[in-house]
Amino acid sequence: MSSIIEMPLVRLVAGFVIWSIGFVVLYAAQALGCAYGWGDWHRPALIAVYAAVLVPLTWMSLPGRNEGRSGALFAAALWANRSALLAALLVFMPVTFASLCS
Amino acid sequence: MSEQPSAIGLHKQLDAIWRTPPGLAGLSSVNHTILGKRFMMLALLFFAIGGLLSMLIRAQLATPNSAFLGPEIYNQVFTMHGTVMMFLFAIPMFEGFAIYMLPKLLGARDLAFPRLTAYGFWCYLFGGSILIVAMLMGVAPNGGWFMYTPLSSKPYTPGINADVWLLGITFVEISAVTAAVEIFVTILKMRAPGMALTRMPLFAWYMLVTAGMMIIGFPPLILGSILLEMERAFDLPFFDPTRGGDPLLWQHLFWLFGHPEVYIIFLPAAGALSTIIPVFAQRPILGYRAIIAAIVAMAFLSFGLWVHHMFTVGIPHLALAFFSAASALVAIPTAVQIFAWIGTLASGRPRWDIPMLYVAGFFVVFVIGGLTGVMLAMVPFNTQAHDSYFVVAHLHYVLVGGFVFPMLAAIYYWLPHISGRQSLYRLSIPAFWLILIGFNLTFFLMHLTGLMGMPRRISTYPSNWGWDWLNLLSSVGGFILTMGFALVLADMVLQFRFGARFRRDPWQAGTLEWATATPPPSYNLAAIPHIETRADQLQPARIGPALASGNGYLGFARNGEQETLAVDMMSGEAEQLIVLPRRSYLPLWTALATASFFLALLFKLYWLAPLGALATLVLFLFWPISLGSKSDRGPIDIGRDLAVPPDVEALNNVTVLANRTALVMNGTLFASLLFGGLFLLVVAPNWQGSNAPNLPLWTGALAMVASLSAAGAAAMAARRPGSVLPLRAGLVAAIALQSLALILLALSMGTLGDPTGHARQAMPFVTLGYAALHCGLGVIMAAHALWRHAQGYVSARRRTELVLARLWNGYAGGVVVLALGLGALLGLDGVAP
Repeated sequence: MSSIIEMPLVRLVAGFVIWSIGFVVLYAAQALGCAYGWGDWHRPALIAVYAAVLVPLTWMSLPGRNEGRSGALFAAALWANRSALLAALLVFMPVTFASLCS
Repeated sequence: MSEQPSAIGLHKQLDAIWRTPPGLAGLSSVNHTILGKRFMMLALLFFAIGGLLSMLIRAQLATPNSAFLGPEIYNQVFTMHGTVMMFLFAIPMFEGFAIYMLPKLLGARDLAFPRLTAYGFWCYLFGGSILIVAMLMGVAPNGGWFMYTPLSSKPYTPGINADVWLLGITFVEISAVTAAVEIFVTILKMRAPGMALTRMPLFAWYMLVTAGMMIIGFPPLILGSILLEMERAFDLPFFDPTRGGDPLLWQHLFWLFGHPEVYIIFLPAAGALSTIIPVFAQRPILGYRAIIAAIVAMAFLSFGLWVHHMFTVGIPHLALAFFSAASALVAIPTAVQIFAWIGTLASGRPRWDIPMLYVAGFFVVFVIGGLTGVMLAMVPFNTQAHDSYFVVAHLHYVLVGGFVFPMLAAIYYWLPHISGRQSLYRLSIPAFWLILIGFNLTFFLMHLTGLMGMPRRISTYPSNWGWDWLNLLSSVGGFILTMGFALVLADMVLQFRFGARFRRDPWQAGTLEWATATPPPSYNLAAIPHIETRADQLQPARIGPALASGNGYLGFARNGEQETLAVDMMSGEAEQLIVLPRRSYLPLWTALATASFFLALLFKLYWLAPLGALATLVLFLFWPISLGSKSDRGPIDIGRDLAVPPDVEALNNVTVLANRTALVMNGTLFASLLFGGLFLLVVAPNWQGSNAPNLPLWTGALAMVASLSAAGAAAMAARRPGSVLPLRAGLVAAIALQSLALILLALSMGTLGDPTGHARQAMPFVTLGYAALHCGLGVIMAAHALWRHAQGYVSARRRTELVLARLWNGYAGGVVVLALGLGALLGLDGVAP
């Protein structure tokens, strides 16, 4: 019972947890790709991670997911998740154009 | 219950239970009001010391070619100024404020772990004293407050200066991590019944997020300090590039802490602003939900910008772009809060009083600091301004604007709560103007000297570079600023002596702390209220007298026990009755034992250090002796026709939550260690051709099996609390298997190769050492559960000790697997070309 009630708190931070995981994976993949010479696969791999992060964040930012729910925490969670989506879009976008290893 | 006594009679009964006697007995205090005040007073003392150091800096830089301080003393002075202000003033100041305020704001009678509060205070006092005594002896740290390697490594800082920083700060940080756990648990579990999370005052939300950030943010710094001290003391080359280390690893670990730290300092101050502004705007805060979302966003984003302190070290454009974008983006949630505060004032009926002067000062100073922060987030500008006085100006605008101005607003707002008297106002207004003018004169001009090329940390400069007048004016401003702070101090003293007394709630606030008598009694509230609306829109002056008469939960004294309530984390429904431990000298003795450990390391008495650690451990084992119950009591009356079980008979109690939180913190430290190993493998120079660590397969595999089996045995014991034989067999098996794992890991450490030869041996050496240590902790937790069971403290309903044994042994098992994984990875030939 308690775990169900606690869900809103998880929901509040879920978007930015995904953003953080994406950040760590992209930063690590950038370093590993440079160190081990991933060559032509390096950028596509990073873009794939970028896309993989955006999918759940987009889903979590849709208003329909909170239908029938009310309360300050659900509203705050929705806006926190939308902020995480915006942060992922902007912060990770350089994987599409910035030089990878220099 | 027997007949309800009068309000005064109830006060006398409760005070007899909760009070700390005067005199030397005060050393045994565990009361959050007393300890919160001690934290804040000590922090203000360190603020004064840091301020004196800043005056020395400004005296030195007032004129060119100054011989006032020599370069060595100057290095110590500016290093200590930064260190004292960041670690001994800012963090402990808000910790002390939270310790004092949170239980009152939430409707609890104390924090979740009062003795831990006391232990944290003593660690803060002793650790801070180490730094100050070292400074008076002329051996203070001298490598800058961020202790960059290789400058702080042994060859370039051969004395104990850097050791003083590493050991003193780590000692002080114990108080930060204990406070973080306590604040986190208290906010989630110890609110007044009915105060759902969505009814919490914003200050509690800010502190909840801040505590979460401290749980994740402090371990990288603690790990970095441990690794650097191990390099300095035992020559393990984590940061030495000639032996496979990398100075950049220190920068990563330091700034992984250091940048979130800025927000860790700002968020409590923002919480104070979010409490004060609605009171003076005479309307509820605008955008309660948006502010919660903004705090969460700010907390996470602040962990994604640490590399903006390292833009010039030579990293690829892509990584620069990540951190630059995140650095700029964090301005958005900050702006959400600022607009919410401005909107609250604009749509309310603002009345001006002294706290609002400082709020206005905050807006001006902090917004300037935020804007120069966005400038510095841009890589090209950052490259130009890096390590110049522009950065000094920016960081002071952010930290003084974001912390000191709100702190002064908070002092004027809440000091009447502590003193029971109101401000005199005669000195308050000139003090504010001196501070505002002095601050801007000092630091605004540093933007200009920085843009004119003046580097940070130089002890003097020639007279023909155009910096003379700007520096002289900065110094004049610094002294005006100091006069302002002196007036504030005098104002505070006079308030205690001559301020007019008042009844409850002088500001017509809406939060629960003003429902207490002022100064607050030792137990805070004679009865705990039921909250039926958002807890920043209450009427403290109306409900305070009712609570003082015992109308509420626990409105009585019972069995001489310190009783308070735990609630469901989300809904705030009353869930458990907590009996808090009474005052004790144990925290002081334990902190003294901890001090012996740190001092032994500082003075290189390495034979004594394990004894200090052992004494600390033994004393900690004494802590739970007086706690718990030898019988099941079932639901207990808490008033208002409600009965709840004692917390020892519930699984989701504060002790379990605190241990889970501590393990998350511990896991962050371990993750930072794994990051360090992988970072060196991928990035550090001189790994090609180095000898791989020799990790015998059979000892590693056996250690892994033993530790995981121990975790399984402890879990089995926790599942069978009512069956004596399986329970004891499970715990004994956990002890035996975890001991075996410990021995095997120690043997593996011995076979790795010389850990001083190369980081490739040093990293698995320290990682396996960490795993062995946690196997040892698993043994202790299982043995403790076994002992408590034998004493009668464990039953089918009272099984906290079994859950803790399961948690710590499970953690140890996971750590052993990952540590051996890192060792095996570093043993492979796949070193980056």
